[in-house]
Amino acid sequence: MEKQPVIQIKNLTKIYRDFWGRKKVRALNSLSLEVKKGEVFGLLGPNGSGKTTTMKLLLGLLFPTEGEINVLGKPASDVSKNERIGYLPEESYLYRFLNAEETLDFYGRLFDMSPLQRKERANQLIEKVGLQNARKRQLKEYSKGMTRRIGLAQALINDPDLVLLDEPTSGLDPLGSRDMKDLIVKLRDEGKTVVMCSHLLADVQDVCDRIAILYAGELKELGSVEDLLKEQHETELLTSKLSPEAVTDIEAVLAKHNAKLLRHGHPTNSLEDLFLKTVQKSQERPGQRYVPTGSEKA
Amino acid sequence: MTFDRAPFLFGPALLHWMFVFGSFAGIIFSVTVLIALGVYGASGPTAVMGRVWQGLHDFLGISPRRIWALALLTIKEAVRRKALFVFVVFAALVMFAGWFLESDLRADLQVKNAVSFALTTISWLTLPVVLLLSCWGLPEDIRLRSIHTIVTKPVRRNEIVMGRILGFSVVASLIVSLMGVVGYVWIRRQVPNNAELICRVPVYGELGFLDREGNPTDKGVNTGDIWEFRSYIEGGTKSSAIYKFPIDQVANKIRFESRFEAFRTHKGRIGQSLLVRYVLLNPTKSLRVPLESFEVVEFGLNEKDLDRQVTYFDEEKKTNRTLDLFDDIVDQNKLTIEVQCLDSGQYLGMARPDMFIRMPDRPFVAGYFKAVVGVLLLSIFLITIGVTSSTFVKGPVSILLTFTVLIVGQGFREFMLKLITGEQKGGGPIESWYRLITHMNDTLALPDNFGVKLMQFIDNLFMGGLWLMQHLIPDLSYFVMSPYVANGFDVPWSTALAQCFAMTAGYLVPCLLVGYYSLTLRELEAK
Repeated sequence: MEKQPVIQIKNLTKIYRDFWGRKKVRALNSLSLEVKKGEVFGLLGPNGSGKTTTMKLLLGLLFPTEGEINVLGKPASDVSKNERIGYLPEESYLYRFLNAEETLDFYGRLFDMSPLQRKERANQLIEKVGLQNARKRQLKEYSKGMTRRIGLAQALINDPDLVLLDEPTSGLDPLGSRDMKDLIVKLRDEGKTVVMCSHLLADVQDVCDRIAILYAGELKELGSVEDLLKEQHETELLTSKLSPEAVTDIEAVLAKHNAKLLRHGHPTNSLEDLFLKTVQKSQERPGQRYVPTGSEKA
Repeated sequence: MTFDRAPFLFGPALLHWMFVFGSFAGIIFSVTVLIALGVYGASGPTAVMGRVWQGLHDFLGISPRRIWALALLTIKEAVRRKALFVFVVFAALVMFAGWFLESDLRADLQVKNAVSFALTTISWLTLPVVLLLSCWGLPEDIRLRSIHTIVTKPVRRNEIVMGRILGFSVVASLIVSLMGVVGYVWIRRQVPNNAELICRVPVYGELGFLDREGNPTDKGVNTGDIWEFRSYIEGGTKSSAIYKFPIDQVANKIRFESRFEAFRTHKGRIGQSLLVRYVLLNPTKSLRVPLESFEVVEFGLNEKDLDRQVTYFDEEKKTNRTLDLFDDIVDQNKLTIEVQCLDSGQYLGMARPDMFIRMPDRPFVAGYFKAVVGVLLLSIFLITIGVTSSTFVKGPVSILLTFTVLIVGQGFREFMLKLITGEQKGGGPIESWYRLITHMNDTLALPDNFGVKLMQFIDNLFMGGLWLMQHLIPDLSYFVMSPYVANGFDVPWSTALAQCFAMTAGYLVPCLLVGYYSLTLRELEAK
């Protein structure tokens, strides 16, 4: 069964004008796309491609010059749609004089939540984003990573159906970045729709089901990550370790089928995996240091 | 300021407000529809109607919880940005103020100085703080984009404006209350032991005059004073001033207080002041009850107690007669008193507030804190203007705008009125500039040519703007209530506080509308 669209954008154009109403820049040009319920959708593009503009148009922070936007079945200008939306801005625009608890309590109040609900939800989220030890500190004392975490917590305060994340992993260390990506996947597993925009391609690849690539305000690619990245003319096999003779035999078999071996060798882990493994090991055995390979025998 | 103010009548004021508000709303709506029609064609007016409908929906659907949440945020912001620090400045000022206030004055003047100082200081320390806070809050939120995290929640734009106004008003209340209490304690300690902190409750009457032949007239004689506040009655003639006081309740004694001004055409009786007599009148019964004459206290108070049983000498029957003040003399709930000057060739000047019935005094603290409420109401009024203006201009411009409203409202409305009515000679800005550079006196007629007509046309446009401004900016001198308390009077509800409450509420509604639409119609993206 076709999933219902959560976001529908039709021929969306946004032109920024100066004080006198003269055209300054065309940030978006006839953008049309749909985001389905329960998917993680990535908006990709270089700086100035229109990702954040799209996000702000979805939220009603900017007004479209032309075109239509429907979010959760309502126009973008309808405030009531925000009941089911969570938004993490690109940078932390939170109130720096509040602490984490006060921040979540404040945003909870904006959703008309009862004091008990606010307290419970704040505790859950503070734990979820790992800020238990900094819950009483004012946000002005937070590092960038911590600010992103509390920003994410405020975006989830209302347990939203649609989560809009603007550069969610920016400013986070690899651990934080991994946590964020895990959280995004978890949100999808809970049936929520996530729209994220990022220029960190690896992050997008890790978590997104579908992506749209924007360039100069225009849609250049749209589809599932798998389909877009699939190399249709090549086949990949992953085997256990082979001897050189076995490789030669395989080459012979491939030649029989008019194919040839393009590359072989040991697969490499991603740097992120290596980093995470190292950190995990360090946590398990805190005293162990790096020993150069040659010095072990000496 | 004047104590001679007309009582506030809620009904007519509300009707007037509705008329002005309705007219403005109607004009703005019509102009917007016409512009929309011109720019967007047939869909324009529909879009305007949609916005109006959305506005109505947003105002009907406001959530007090969200407003309070935003107000709480505002309060925390102000407190953590050390807005209450102003109280420390106040405390420091009052600690040392005693050194600089004159202590060798008459006791009542010392009280006047102390009360004026405390209330003025509270006012002038609070107003800059609320001005800065209210004008800076929203533009900073927009600049730092903190507002993005609010408007992406189910928060209506009018709730943001209301939350801000409420929050800053709570902060202002906190500051003013703290200062008010400290100021009160300071006054108590500052005034000399022999001084009395009083809070008189006056009941003013209507004033009419009789000329030297005894015919009714609106005004008395002008003795050459440019300020026509007081009119004079001529001594030794039928000229008199007639006060009519409203009497609502029966009492065993009534106290009159008066402060008349003498104008002499000759030295008179050396060592004696002018002789004055009160005559109680009952026009229905054609009754005249002359009381004993007394010497007027110049530059001071004349206090006269009138018992309920009034005994006087009846000239016709040549006998003493006793009447009941309320049963025999008060006529249709009014007590009429004729004031006569008995010295021939001398004049006695009086205005409506110069004579009043002094009701039982209220505690000084009551009058004092009413004046403090006046400061608070002015703060709330400025907060309303400041927050509203900050929805469409940046912080510094908003401060300038609100400060202009404050300054014009407190002291320049009269001058603007003179300019508009032509009482102030010299024409508008272009004409006065022309007269300056051509060295042309303002009494000389301008030549009749096209250039002059064009100049006067442009001046008329400026005057139109000035007229609008003069009518839009309220008379903020009503909020300054310290003279009442400093002069030992209670702050009256009907002629002072009610006006201020009504003014604050009257401006709140259109300001909320302006704030709401300017936040709704703009993109909240800091540029």
